[in-house]
Formats: sequence, C-alpha cells, structure tokens
Amino acid sequence: MECERAGGLLSGLVDNALRPLARFRVSRHVAGCHDCAAKLEELRAMQAAIRTKLPYHRAPPGLAARIGAALPREAPPPAARPWFRMPEFSLAGTGLAGALAGVALTALVIGGQSDPTMAVIGSHIRSMQAEHLTDVATSDQHTVKPWLSARLDVSPPVRDLKEAGFPLVGGRLDYVEGHPAAAVVYRRAKHVINLFAWAAAGKTDETFRTERRQGFNIVTWRHDGITYYAVSDVEADQLAEFAKLVAQGG
Amino acid sequence: MPQDDRRRRFELLALPHLDAAFNLARWLAGNTTDAEDVVQDAYLRAYRYFDAFQGGNFRVWLLTIVRNAFVTWVKENRSGRMMFVPDTPLADSADSEEAMWGSRPRDPESLLLESVDSQMLGRLMEQLPAEYREVLLLREVEDLAYKEIADVTGVPIGTVMSRLSRARLSLRKLWMQQVETEAAHGV
Repeated sequence: MECERAGGLLSGLVDNALRPLARFRVSRHVAGCHDCAAKLEELRAMQAAIRTKLPYHRAPPGLAARIGAALPREAPPPAARPWFRMPEFSLAGTGLAGALAGVALTALVIGGQSDPTMAVIGSHIRSMQAEHLTDVATSDQHTVKPWLSARLDVSPPVRDLKEAGFPLVGGRLDYVEGHPAAAVVYRRAKHVINLFAWAAAGKTDETFRTERRQGFNIVTWRHDGITYYAVSDVEADQLAEFAKLVAQGG
Repeated sequence: MPQDDRRRRFELLALPHLDAAFNLARWLAGNTTDAEDVVQDAYLRAYRYFDAFQGGNFRVWLLTIVRNAFVTWVKENRSGRMMFVPDTPLADSADSEEAMWGSRPRDPESLLLESVDSQMLGRLMEQLPAEYREVLLLREVEDLAYKEIADVTGVPIGTVMSRLSRARLSLRKLWMQQVETEAAHGV
C-alpha cells in the first residue's frame, strides 16, 4: 500500500472503523513507514485532545421545563387511575425530574413484582436530572470508599479507572427498591456511568448479564455478597469493559 | 390516559439526552439562544414523531432530529448567508488529503494538539465548517460509530470516513496556523 492510499485511511484506523483487510494493510504500511506512523500519532493525539478538552455545553437550567411546557398536554381522566397509584405520581404540579421518578416507580408498582433494572434506571436518570450526581465529589478513591463504607453495610470496590478512560467522579448514597445502595459515579467522555452496589448477603455469585432498556445499557453481576448494576448510555461494549475492570478490582 | 402515558414515556427517554442535544445544537448554531430554540423545536418534533421510533438507540434518533431541526432553522433564519450546506462539494472534494497534510513539520512534538487549552480548541473548532464540526462532535463527544454518524447526517458511511479525516486535517491546519501566529508574536 502506498502512502497516499494509506493516508486517507489513517483516520479510520484511529476510529477502529476499518474492515479487517484494510486495517491489516494500513497497519502493515504504518509499521514500515516513518512518515505515516507520525501522522497516525498526530491523529491519535488530536482525538485525545478533542475528547478531553473540547468545551461541553450543558443544557441551560430551565430548558427542560420550557420544553415540558411546550409539549402538548392532556390531563389524564381521573377515573382511569389505578387505586394504588399515589397522588404525587400525577404529572400536574411536579417538576420534570419528579415526573420521571414517577414513571420508574409507577412501572414498578404496576408490574407488581421487583424490577431492580427499572429501579436503577430511575435512579440513574434522577441522579442526572436533579443535579444530585454525587454526595461526595472527588476523583480520590481513598475518599469515596470510606465515605460509602461509613454509611452502608457493604463496602464496594472503588477505583479510579481514569487510565482506562473511566475517571471516577464521586459517590452517592442512593436507594434502590427501598434499600440503601452505594452509587459510585464514573464518566466516559461526557457520559455518566452510575455503578450501583448493595448487599446480597448469602446469595451465590453471578456472572455478567447485559441488558438494554429505555435507551440505557445495563450490566449486572453479583460477587462476594454484593449485587452490582452498572447503568449508562455509553455503548454496550464499553460498559462491559467497565464492568470487567470494576470486577477485577473487587 | 394514553396521551399521558405517551408523554411520560417520551420524557423518560428524551430528557436524559437533553445535554447531548443541546451541546450538538450549541456547537452547530454557535450561541445559546439559537441552540435553545433548535433543541426545543427538535423535542417537539421528536414528540410528534415518537410513534415512528422503532427501538434501537434513542440518542442517535434524537440527535438526527436535532440536526434536522438545525438545518430547518438555518433555512428559515439565515437565508441570506447559508452557513450549512450538507453536501457541499467544497467540503468533501477540495484538496487531496495528501495536500492537506502539507509538508511535515520540523518539530512534530510542538504541533501535537496535546498542548492546546480548552478555550483555544473551542475557538479553532468554531472556525471549521458546520459539516466538519458535526462529524467531529458525533464521533469524539457522542462516541458514535460511523454507521450511526451516517444515520444522523444522512450521508453514506464512506463519506463519513472521508469527512472525519478532512475535518481532523482542517483542525490540524488551523492549529498549526495558530502556533505560527503565536510564534510570530513571540507568545
């Protein structure tokens, strides 16, 4: 392969988006071409710079409410309400975050049985909507772990996985289906990963199980008397990688 | 009741992606006020066409609508100066990539973007054509695959690949110019 042809594919190589044969040919060319190797290095550095340094514009406060007010609204007919649905689940008068919490809880109640996946998705969403992502915001694992241990009957592993692309953001005390749970918060690029952990004393270990629901990816497993749920909108394979890293640390 | 359920389901799916939607709109529109309008329009559209969502990645579906809302907004509000031409030949087939690389820098280390600060990177990004900005954002910030970027932008995967390549080379060129300017002014 010549430099000119390889040059156009370097970007695809950086993104790991080439078909196997093209990837093989470009990689082989780069291995023997100082010039193209330097270009590849530059592209990788640029990618890292954009991913870590490009300013991120979060939605201004009030935009969610403004959109909510603009959406067509129809009051639900009162007679259609199931008796067990509590009044505060009604949309009227609640903020959007409250409404979201209501959906998750309502789904649980109507389902009539325990659904921790929906519960952790609800907690994940609330953690981002209510600007209550962390109780203790620090990338220092030696701060987060004792803080959680002091408040819970479990002590989940807390590691800064920054090297692997999952920097630790902090920890939060949360509740999943009425039980206290640790929520360890990580980021992947601009996306939040909530790692929930709660006591499952006496239960047998379970290996990774992945799920996709409501637009979120979930990986769950159980190890050493602790149940884990990792929830995020990052891609499924990245979340699986994250789960493996966490489990290795435990 | 069905309307209320539909609305709740929509909010549950769509609101968690509000930051992603706004960030994309903000980078495309260039300012907060316009970005807010674009995002609000996109969310109303998404709600209207919510029944057409076939499952899959909701974020990709929503970002597609945000992007289309932006294109519409440009047509309606900036007819005088078209800033965004989705398939401009200029952007995709000007210089060869080899030419865009230019001569190899004498000191490659100094030109790596590793030393750029956030503010400068943002300014350089703003100078890129919108179709370059959007592929870079979808790839590096939203971490979408080429296929997903193709879905959002409505161009073939091959075009996504070449456009990303050119976007990166354009950004690199702007950065090199910046470095030279700073050197000339003794910064």
